[in-house]
Amino acid sequence: MNTLIILSALGIIALFAEIFRFRKALFPLILLGLGGAFFFTAKEYNHPQIFLGMMNFDNYAVIFSCAILIIAFLWFMMAKNYFLQETSVTDHFALILFSLVGAVVMVSFSNLTMLFLGIEILSVSVYVLAASDKSNVMSNESGFKYFLMGSFATGFLLFGITLIYGITGSFDLASIHTQVAANHDSGLVIAGILLLMIGLAFKSSLAPFHFWAPDVYEGAPTTVTTYMATVVKTAAFAAFFRLFSTCFAGVTGHWTDVLWWMVVLTLFVGNVSAVRQKSVKRLLAYSSVAHAGYIAIAVVSMGAASTSAILYYTFTYSISSISAFTILFIVSRHKGSKDISAFEGMSKANPLLSFAMTVAMLSLAGIPPTAGFFAKYYVFLTAINAGNTLLVLIAVIAALVGIYYYFRVIIAIYFKPEQQLVPIKVGPLHRTVLIITTILTLLFGLFPNLILGWI
Amino acid sequence: MTLSLFIIYKAVLVILVFLISLVIAMYSTYAERKVAAFMQDRIGPNRAGPFGLLQPVADGVKMFMKEEIIPQVSNKFLFILGPSVAMFTSCITGAVIPWGTSLHIAGHDFALQVTDINIGILYVMAVTSIGVYGIMIGGWASNNKYSLLGALRASSQMISYEVAMGLAIIALVMTTGTLSLKGIAAAQTGWHWNIVYQPLGFLIFIICAFAETNRTPFDLPESDSELIGGYHTEYSSMKLGFYLFAEYINMFISSAIMSTLYFGGYNMPFIGRLGLSPNTMAILGVVFLFAKIFFFIFFFMWVRWTIPRFRFDQLMNLGWKILIPLSIFNMAITGFIILVLHK
Amino acid sequence: MTVYLFIILGVFAILSALMVVFTKNPIHSILYLVLTFFAIAGEYVLLNAQFLAIVNIIVYAGAIMVLFLFVVMLLNLNKETEPHKSILRQLIAVIAAGILLIVLVGSLKGADTMTIKPFAQNTGYIENLGQVLFKDFLLPFEVSAILFLAAMVGAVMLGKKDIK
Repeated sequence: MNTLIILSALGIIALFAEIFRFRKALFPLILLGLGGAFFFTAKEYNHPQIFLGMMNFDNYAVIFSCAILIIAFLWFMMAKNYFLQETSVTDHFALILFSLVGAVVMVSFSNLTMLFLGIEILSVSVYVLAASDKSNVMSNESGFKYFLMGSFATGFLLFGITLIYGITGSFDLASIHTQVAANHDSGLVIAGILLLMIGLAFKSSLAPFHFWAPDVYEGAPTTVTTYMATVVKTAAFAAFFRLFSTCFAGVTGHWTDVLWWMVVLTLFVGNVSAVRQKSVKRLLAYSSVAHAGYIAIAVVSMGAASTSAILYYTFTYSISSISAFTILFIVSRHKGSKDISAFEGMSKANPLLSFAMTVAMLSLAGIPPTAGFFAKYYVFLTAINAGNTLLVLIAVIAALVGIYYYFRVIIAIYFKPEQQLVPIKVGPLHRTVLIITTILTLLFGLFPNLILGWI
Repeated sequence: MTLSLFIIYKAVLVILVFLISLVIAMYSTYAERKVAAFMQDRIGPNRAGPFGLLQPVADGVKMFMKEEIIPQVSNKFLFILGPSVAMFTSCITGAVIPWGTSLHIAGHDFALQVTDINIGILYVMAVTSIGVYGIMIGGWASNNKYSLLGALRASSQMISYEVAMGLAIIALVMTTGTLSLKGIAAAQTGWHWNIVYQPLGFLIFIICAFAETNRTPFDLPESDSELIGGYHTEYSSMKLGFYLFAEYINMFISSAIMSTLYFGGYNMPFIGRLGLSPNTMAILGVVFLFAKIFFFIFFFMWVRWTIPRFRFDQLMNLGWKILIPLSIFNMAITGFIILVLHK
Repeated sequence: MTVYLFIILGVFAILSALMVVFTKNPIHSILYLVLTFFAIAGEYVLLNAQFLAIVNIIVYAGAIMVLFLFVVMLLNLNKETEPHKSILRQLIAVIAAGILLIVLVGSLKGADTMTIKPFAQNTGYIENLGQVLFKDFLLPFEVSAILFLAAMVGAVMLGKKDIK
């Protein structure tokens, strides 16, 4: 609750910054506020609290909120310079802060109305941010597509909520759980669960509901794409898992088969499409779709270890993504191109960028000793424990395909002839972000218990 | 009360309300000319009947006799639907207005209100917001640039001012604690008129009422000097009559609503001390209400012949940048005072 | 009596909703959509939810649809400019929607054996709605303020001119 209040207040302060002209002070203020929010959230660890029967701040919520706040902190450091060039910097920051409120609601809801509100707050802010580069047609298209598809998905989600409400007579997760178990053979329950799943799959870009993702990710400003790939994805999966593990864990027969096929399709579509991409941004977009597939494996094979697997995966994936997108942002601004060719032969002049990109790519590909390896390992472990061996086999093959296209970037960096020897200028904030993310990726890869121990 | 009696009583009441609305709208046109003449030091209509009193009848006959023109390219159905919707929506608002308390005749209680729904104010808002369709459909179906511009102006103006109006009403509802117009009217006995508690709200409301009825200084949708006639440029005969008539009925209805919401409705201070019988009181209440309504109708006309028209950007600025913040401020203040008083 | 009225309004709502899709002229589509909203508002009244009915009319028919009409008129979309879609796409869309329809019909068919909660006479009254909204659902009510603020900030941000 404190988190919500602090974040909302920060958002409103950001709006006032335009009127009272303290834009310069806004950025440190936001970082401070995020730190404060982190502190107050972390204080609630092991002190579960329920607010008006609507939000349950249990350890799950606390940990995911903390993860989201850390990612957001890194994101702000990464995005500051981009947004300072915009005229409406305060609006951008305010929207991001509001969307963080949505994300926190999404990880802590204990009532379907709160889930809906959380998703909407997050989505509405991100729709606008995707279109925020107003003079760019691609950005407009991205925002519009995201908005249309997102509202369509919300329709499915609401319909699902309606059906579930119709049969259980409640929005509360706990009573839905008991009621669904009591009426488990009703067709309304099945239809409701499936519609809910479709709505959430849209938001977390699982195939066949991923069609918006590549275009939206490519068109949106790179910073916003980063936000979508990290915070939005983490929150979406946290909400997905929270809903399904609390409400529908008793009736897994109704939905795991469908989700199983969705996972397989996602892994296939995401990885195979990524192979053919020239643009690194689009490649990362497809890779984000593929990663959604890996995370969803932990949802399919719901078990005791699923929570920590999802937490570990989303968090490390977000950190590596921030690293990769930051480098993409720097390089594309320098070279004016987002293609893989822009990265060719930059290793000599830019050792930090090259190394950070390599670590990020290795982590995304799942090569030890980076964190990405253990992320995949834990997800596969949950699947094997649940007896989904076939799924693991498919996922491993998909991961091998993934290695191919991630290595294309690394090869371009190290083994292509150098085109330019002038080092790319990296600002101090970006440098800090890159150093932090690279260290964290390696650190979590070597000591996975740093994250796993919390849940 | 038996069912047949109930039906007869309601039918009589409905027809009465309907007739009175029409007659008052008719004579508003006459009054408008007379007021204009008075303000401009002229005589005004004086040929048809004594003091020109039959002028509205003559106008009506003229309207009916005129040639009916439907533009070739327009969508015929929508072209006719436009004025019909405008007329319809302005006529159905009267259903929720309490014209007086109730009459006791032969042991029965006859309330002088067609129907008391528990969300009366919202009903009025809904009907107002539907009213804009009449103008938009008509303006679009005319297939004429001026008509379209007029229709667009009308709709944007009405939507913008509906917001401020709604917020002003929310503050009022906070003080009265009911959405029923009957309850609001009944609560304002003696000097407890809502204007005393909601002066700012009333100011906002009356400005919005001017904008909603498209009266000067907000008559941009039909500003003749820029748009020929606005949304009804292509209309002739009684369809044009419907649009003009609807405007006057709207004026009457919004005067009635303002009197009911803010000026005590059928109440008058000190009248309770005279010790009159309830039936006499009820009839006197109706008289008082109509006196208030006539004052507001006069006020509408007074403003029309005094104040020039806004420019469109000024109109939007007034609506969005002044009235809405003001009404939100009003709402906050009202809430604060209620909180303090109830603690 | 009310049951028949309910069915008639339902059929009316569905028919006008279908007309929204099938008419070529966007203005006509919008007007049919307005009719649909009115039919649904009628259903609300029959379910004793006058407040919802009236709010449905004020918000959807009175404000949102007027904005739709506004935009369509302003962009002059009354020509039938929609590009022709390929047969394959149409077929896929029909199959997907058909499957959804079958799922919904199938799930609702089993629902008539369920126990129905007794109908409380004053469920939809505004007093009770207020009690529910400001007591049980206070937190969602407050949180929705953030949603509206975000939407408003977004609209202003996209709408305002960049001052360079």
